[in-house]
Amino acid sequence: MTIHNLYIFSRNGLLLYYSEWNRLNKSGITKEEEAKLMYGMLFSIKSFVSKISPLDPKEGFLYYKTSKYTLHYFETPSGLKFVLNTDNATQNARELLQQLYREVYLEYVVKNPLCQLNEPIQSELFKLKVDELFKKSPLFLSRSL
Amino acid sequence: MKQVVDTKTNSGSTGEADECLFEYLHAEIVNYVLSLSLNTKEGKEDLSRLEWMGFSVGYKIIERLTREWSRFKDELDMIKFICTDFWCSLYHKQIDNLRTNHHGVYVLQDNAFRLLDKVGTSNSKQYLPESPRLLAFTCGLLRGSLANLGIVSTVTAETSTLPSCKFHVQVQRV
Repeated sequence: MTIHNLYIFSRNGLLLYYSEWNRLNKSGITKEEEAKLMYGMLFSIKSFVSKISPLDPKEGFLYYKTSKYTLHYFETPSGLKFVLNTDNATQNARELLQQLYREVYLEYVVKNPLCQLNEPIQSELFKLKVDELFKKSPLFLSRSL
Repeated sequence: MKQVVDTKTNSGSTGEADECLFEYLHAEIVNYVLSLSLNTKEGKEDLSRLEWMGFSVGYKIIERLTREWSRFKDELDMIKFICTDFWCSLYHKQIDNLRTNHHGVYVLQDNAFRLLDKVGTSNSKQYLPESPRLLAFTCGLLRGSLANLGIVSTVTAETSTLPSCKFHVQVQRV
C-alpha cells in the first residue's frame, strides 16, 4: 500500500496545500496548472455524480479508481476539499483524510492565529504534522513500485 | 416519559467549544489591536493596548480565583499561586519552571504555552518575530493579577524557541 500525493483545496478552488511522497510520473505542467486541472475535474465529477445519481446522492462523490491508482475525495461541509492519491490496495483512506482534517488542519491551521484561512498554508509546523500523520499511517509504505 | 440526557460528556473543560473560544477571541483581539495601531506607529508594533486589556482582565479574574483562598504569606506565595492554580485555570497546565533571585525578579517559564502551541516548533524559526503579539495580553494578565494582590510590577515576555516562553516579572519596590 502506498500514498502518492495530497491536495487540499479551499471552497473556491484555490490550492491550499500540496505534498507528494511516492510519485513516479510527473505531469509535466506547473503545479498551479495541475491544481487547476485537478480542481476542474473534481468539480465536474461532483456535479456529474449528483445529476446522474438515480437515488439521493447522500455523500456524493467519494473516490475513483483506475488500473494503477485510486483517488480519494473528502469534502467538509465548509467546502474544504481533501484529495489523496493512493494505490489500489489501500482502504480506509477516507478515515485518514478525516483524521487529517480533524487532527492536523483544525489544530495547526485554524487554531494558529498567524495562519490566514483560504490562503496557501505556509506553516512549517503544519507541514511537519502532515508528514508525521502520513508516515505513521499503516497505509504508508515507501516501498517503491 | 423520562428523558435521559447525558450532560456530563459535554460540560466541563474538555468541551471543544469552550476550549477554542478563548483562543479564537484572543486571536481576533490581537488582530483588531494591530489594525488600530497600524497608522499610529511605523515599524514597531504597538502592543500597549493589548497589554492594558490583559491588565484589566487579570485585575478582575484574580478576585474570582482567590475567593476560596486564605491570605497569602508573602510575595513568593502569591507567585506560586500564579504558577499553579491561576495558570491551570487559564491555560490548563502549570508553569514548568519558576526561578527567582529573591530580590523581586521572577522568571516563569512555560515550555508549551497554549497560545503558541499550535504556531511553531523548536526546529523552525518561522513565526518567531510575530510571537510577541500573542504574549502581550498574557503579560498584562500577569501584571493585573499581581496588582490586585498588591504587587506593583512590570512583566515582559521572551521567546527563543516556540512554543516555549518566559515571563519576566520585575517587582517594583516602593
